[in-house]
This record gives sequence, C-alpha cells and structure tokens, in this order.
Amino acid sequence: MSDVPTIEIHDLHKSYGKTPVLRGCSMTVQRGEVVVVCGPSGSGKSTLIKCINGLEPYQSGSIQVEGIEVGAKATDLPRLRSRIGMVFQHFELYPHMSVLDNVALAQIYVLRRSRTEAYERAQQLLARVGLEDKSDSMPVDLSGGQQQRVAIARALALDPQAILFDEPTSALDPEMIHEVLQVMDQLASDGMTMVVVSHEMGFARRVADRVIFMDAGKIVEDAASEDFFSTPRTPRAAEFLSKILTH
Amino acid sequence: MPEVIVQNLPFLLQGLWTTIDLSLWSTLGGTALGILLATIRFVRVPVLGTLCMLFIEFIRGTPLLVVLLITYFALPALFGYKTTAYSAALLGFVLFIGAYLAEDFRAGLRSVRPSLIQAGLATGLNRWQVLRFIIAPQAVRSVIPPVFNQYIRLIKFTSVASIIGVTDLTGAALLVNARQFYPITILTTIALTYFVLCYVLSLIGRALYAHYAVKM
Repeated sequence: MSDVPTIEIHDLHKSYGKTPVLRGCSMTVQRGEVVVVCGPSGSGKSTLIKCINGLEPYQSGSIQVEGIEVGAKATDLPRLRSRIGMVFQHFELYPHMSVLDNVALAQIYVLRRSRTEAYERAQQLLARVGLEDKSDSMPVDLSGGQQQRVAIARALALDPQAILFDEPTSALDPEMIHEVLQVMDQLASDGMTMVVVSHEMGFARRVADRVIFMDAGKIVEDAASEDFFSTPRTPRAAEFLSKILTH
Repeated sequence: MPEVIVQNLPFLLQGLWTTIDLSLWSTLGGTALGILLATIRFVRVPVLGTLCMLFIEFIRGTPLLVVLLITYFALPALFGYKTTAYSAALLGFVLFIGAYLAEDFRAGLRSVRPSLIQAGLATGLNRWQVLRFIIAPQAVRSVIPPVFNQYIRLIKFTSVASIIGVTDLTGAALLVNARQFYPITILTTIALTYFVLCYVLSLIGRALYAHYAVKM
C-alpha cells in the first residue's frame, strides 16, 4: 500500500445548483505529508476537504483515499471516514456528552473497541493534548482552544491514516490559537498525514511540506512550502500573501 | 369538605383514578407513536413519510371529540371488532396526542445543527448511529418543554372521554351532579383537581428541563 498516495484528487468538479464551487481541482497527498490549503474565502477550500471524506458529494472527477474511490456507490463511506479524521472550525463536540465520551464514542461504535479499551485510549489522547484533567467536563465548560484540542483527540481516537483540518483556529481568540497550533505541530512531527485549510501562514511555513493556493474554485498554485513563501509563481498568490502577511 | 363530595368520595376517587390511568397510558402510547412518526418523517422514508404527514394533518384538523367518536363507533364498525368506551378513548387519545407530539419531536430533531451531524458522520458513525447517539439525545432534551405542554393538554383532554361514556373524573362528577345537583361545588372541586394534576406535571417538566437541558 505504501506506493498508493493517501489522497489523490483528479479534475474534481462540484457545484451547488448552478453555482460552480470547484472547477477542476487535482492534488495528491502522500503518506506523512503536511499540506496547507489557503486562499480567499469562497475559493472552495473547505468544500474541497469535505469532499475528501464524502461529507460533500461531487459531480465529476475522482477522489481516491488509499486507492478507494470516495464517490463510488459501492464505497463503504463510514469505513472510509473512520480512516480519515476531521477537525472542524467550530469544534463540533457533542454538547450532551462529557469530553471523555466525545473521544470514546466512535471507538466503541465504529472500531468496536471494548468500553474499557476505548476509555483508556481516550484518556491517553486527552493527556496527549494536555487535557487529562478535563475528561469529566462538559464541552460548554471548556475554552475554545480546549474544545478544539478535544476535537483533535476525538479525531486521533480512530488511529486515522490522515486528518483533515477545516480552519481549525479561525474561530479562536489569538491566545488560544497558539495552544492548538502546538498540538498540530506535534502531530506533524509525529509523522501524521495532514491536510490543513488555514490562514496560519506561520504554521504553514514551520510545518507544511506543501502549500496549495486556491482561488475561485481552482488550485492556482501547488508548491513546496519554502518556494511558495519566497517566490509565489502567480500574481494572485503573491497578492494574497502580501495582504495576509502584512495584516 | 362539602358534604356532597364527602358522600361521593369513593366514587369520585375512582373517577380520578380512571383519569390518571387513562392519561398515563395515553401519554406512553402517544409518546411512542410520536417518536415513531417523527423519526419516519425526519429520515424521509419514501411513501411512509408522506402517509405519516397525512395522518398528522388529518388529526390536527379534526376535533378531539370527533376522533373519539371515530374510535368508538366508526373503527369497530369498519373493522368488525368490539370495543369499550375506555379502550376507544385510549386509542383516540394515543392517536390524537401522538400526532401533536410527532411534530414537537420532529422540531427537536431538526434543531440539531447540521455541522454536528457532519462531525458524527466524519468519525465513521453511520446515519442511524448519528441519529441515536448525537441527534436524538439532544432533541429529547430540547423538546421537554413543548412535550410536557402536550402531556398537560392531554390530562385536560381526557375529560372529553366522559362524552362516550367513560367514568373518568368528569364522568363521575356529571353522574353525581345528575343525582344530587350541586353544580358549583362539584365543578369547582373537579376543576381544582385537574389544576393540581396539571400543575404537578408542569413542575416535573420544569425540573427535568432544568436538569437535562443541553447547555451550548
């Protein structure tokens, strides 16, 4: 399996009704790569990564996750999704469950782990994101940064092959962004395959192998991180960079 | 306590018990029916979903007394079975309150935000598991106030059963009144009794909501 890319997207088209959102996107993510996807709002970044785990259907083109076509009728989507974690902009912790239950739920009902094993693993992961003392808290009692770290633990609980991050820090106060990025830095250095929609250019510079720049539903630039920041090839990317970096 | 009430206390208490008994079973049956109808509509089962919608609209557009007359006279005649006033009333109340509860439950299911459903799906849970572990528990908590409102309405509705001959609290009171004619005393007494029943239920609903409501 090592020669099959973790994620391979080819000529992906998607529209909401008559409004095109993705207009022929192609990209590949190899095992262990960290790819940051950036671009102006409305450029299709979030839609693109939601297509990867089948949360958004697409009209044409292909997405393969470990060689399996996401959009194929025969594909067992729940199984595929259990191999790809996802972290959302607004955390989306289950508000009626404790932090520990949030992290244990899918382990029990998707991976069929025993309760003991699931709760043990959940506790370990909470420790890994620095929240071992919060396992009995309810999500509402945590700060945004803490909630997002729980959400990362929840994604990790399935031992995924890759994790998709949909603007994981854009709903956070500046001082909380740091604690979430620290966890993500750690994940990256542990070798996790990550696709991160983000405007955190510091994070992109530090840990991304590649940066993908999207505009109006197209991938305009797909470059190694250092090349993207030093010499963006397209004027659109250069303009975006200058705005976001001086801001 | 007024003499007419004391004299007829065992009879009236029996009527009260019938009211409580009828309310309780109608509540249970109606809740089960409501959850079933709401789920079928929420997951949009083809054909069956439309049938449920038609049933709910039919009940909502029909007076309660007419529903009871249907379950007492029309259905037994149509399907050739024997019924009692009590059974017919119970069936009528279950159908009636079930239809209203279905809409409350469905509103609760729909109040869970779609991104939370996506989060559940993203972890590999299937649609039923998301419904069971993520949507339903939150929906149940959020609909406690409207659902208890229906339960309270139901207690009061049970008095209509007296018209098809059930000796519930109202039925018993009407019989006592027919014999001895103390309308003010008798009707005040049963009105207060209904009030106490409803108020207790309302307090229970409030306490449950205070305890279980999901804080966001």
